[in-house]
Amino acid sequence: MSEIQRVAVLGFGTMGAGIVQVVAQSGREVTVLETENARIEAGLATLRDFLAGGVARGKLTERQRDEVLARVRPVTDVAALAESELVIEAVTERADVKHELLASVAEVVSGDALIVTNTSALSVTDLAGAVPDPHRFAGLHFFNPAPIMKVVEVVRALQSGPGVVDRLVAFVESIGKDPVVVKDRPGFLVNHLLIPYLNDVIAEYDSELASAEDLDTAMRLGLGYKLGPLELLDLIGLDVHKHATESAYEATLDPRFAPPPLLSQMVAAGYHGNKNGRGFRTSEEGSQ
Amino acid sequence: MTSLDRTVAVLGAGTMGSGIATVAARAGYRTLIHDLDSGRVERGVSTVRGFLGKSVELGKLTEAEGAEAAARINGTTDLKDLAEAGVVIEAIYEDLAAKQELFGELDGIVGKDTLFHTNTSTLSVTAIAAGSSSPERVVGTHYCNPAPLMKLVEVAEGRHTASWAHEATLEFLASVGKTTVVTKDRPGFIVNRFLIPWENSCINALEAGLGTRESIDTAVTGALGHPMGPFRLLDVVGLDIHQQVATRLYEQLRDPRFFPPPMVARMVAAGDLGRKTGRGFYTYDDNRLFGS
Repeated sequence: MSEIQRVAVLGFGTMGAGIVQVVAQSGREVTVLETENARIEAGLATLRDFLAGGVARGKLTERQRDEVLARVRPVTDVAALAESELVIEAVTERADVKHELLASVAEVVSGDALIVTNTSALSVTDLAGAVPDPHRFAGLHFFNPAPIMKVVEVVRALQSGPGVVDRLVAFVESIGKDPVVVKDRPGFLVNHLLIPYLNDVIAEYDSELASAEDLDTAMRLGLGYKLGPLELLDLIGLDVHKHATESAYEATLDPRFAPPPLLSQMVAAGYHGNKNGRGFRTSEEGSQ
Repeated sequence: MTSLDRTVAVLGAGTMGSGIATVAARAGYRTLIHDLDSGRVERGVSTVRGFLGKSVELGKLTEAEGAEAAARINGTTDLKDLAEAGVVIEAIYEDLAAKQELFGELDGIVGKDTLFHTNTSTLSVTAIAAGSSSPERVVGTHYCNPAPLMKLVEVAEGRHTASWAHEATLEFLASVGKTTVVTKDRPGFIVNRFLIPWENSCINALEAGLGTRESIDTAVTGALGHPMGPFRLLDVVGLDIHQQVATRLYEQLRDPRFFPPPMVARMVAAGDLGRKTGRGFYTYDDNRLFGS
């Protein structure tokens, strides 16, 4: 089977822009679909920011940056995706929005194009039902920030055809990432492990086991983690974590996924972590 | 007690005891290692000297610093030799009665202002302190293994710990170059409190077929930035040690997340304890720890 060359990304938000960059850096042309020009401009600005960071850190030359940008083709018409061999959906985490968009994409692409979702909180098997021939559907779960994080989860839906996962594994390797094949279970693999741990830390912080700073210091120095759990939550976004843990809880009724009361209160109070300077660690250190 | 003219006594010449003794001697304290038989004491003292020699080889210490630190280390089997100690650090096996008894005996040997530190990882600081007639001087100071290399010490007060003892403990640990976090006398303190359920959930994910040992290790290091995946780490820690710590925490908390999954008992029964036996989740050609 020939290697996937023409890739489309649906959605030019933070995740979409990160995925666009990773694919374009592998030398491929990327078509990116958004609903309107203002959102395309915002996506391009995000992409330029990422690339500028790469140039500043010496990971990328200015020439490579320009080449990457030249490979990105933003569009607002779904018909422009007709030639795509792989479509990666990365729009907002709402099942109704994703279902409608995936159905319209399935109508324009060829019958052997692969269609995948970057969802982190929804069921890939459920989303596969949006396309008429779901054997070509699977999940491709990138982590944020996509250009930096090495791992991509390849999520096998119940309907995924036998060769589909193998083709996606080869594709992930070809863009310089480490593929991990996982089942379509709430949280897949990484979030299935991470979410209960983070909830557990929030609950113990609430029960005054230690200060936020000392909890983070203990986990960083004791286990060599790059980030402590509470600074990681501030980075992820408390609203994002709450949505992820609630989704997993609704799907499993497993109390380890129930949002801890303190998390719910912080989100209710508008504390979203680093992005608005109010979180477990950001308020004590000033907004970052 | 931060002045270097006070002796540091370490009870227990095993891995943790000799590691902690290394930390104290390297920082400039006269250090005494105590254990029950002279063979163990000699092994502990030579472990410390060996570590210091390695540090000199690696350029971490000058020859003179290494020699001075090595000269500060001595051993004894007689508790009475610890009379001058300003800090006693208990690092014997995890047995409550044995720890209580040691502190009780030392009450009659050391001065009133001598700090009693316990390096327990799974027992209650308060319960250990109850063995001393002056529990106000007892503080939990939990070092990480290997103690000479790991910066972190978790500090936990018992119910009767006095504020002077707590403050003096933080000063002492700063004087030996450690970073302290202050936590409560609760099972597992901070690190084991979160590590044990984490490792158990990774083992459960493996047994549930959510991934392979390799894919789970890859996902955790690549997506979460951990230096080692859960199965590589369990092999370094030792499956028997994980089983003991997890079981002791479970017995206190009765929270099933702490109970070692059945796979752990099978691995221990088969003798697959990790790197030290050449086989755990992975197999190893050699049995060296920490790649040293």
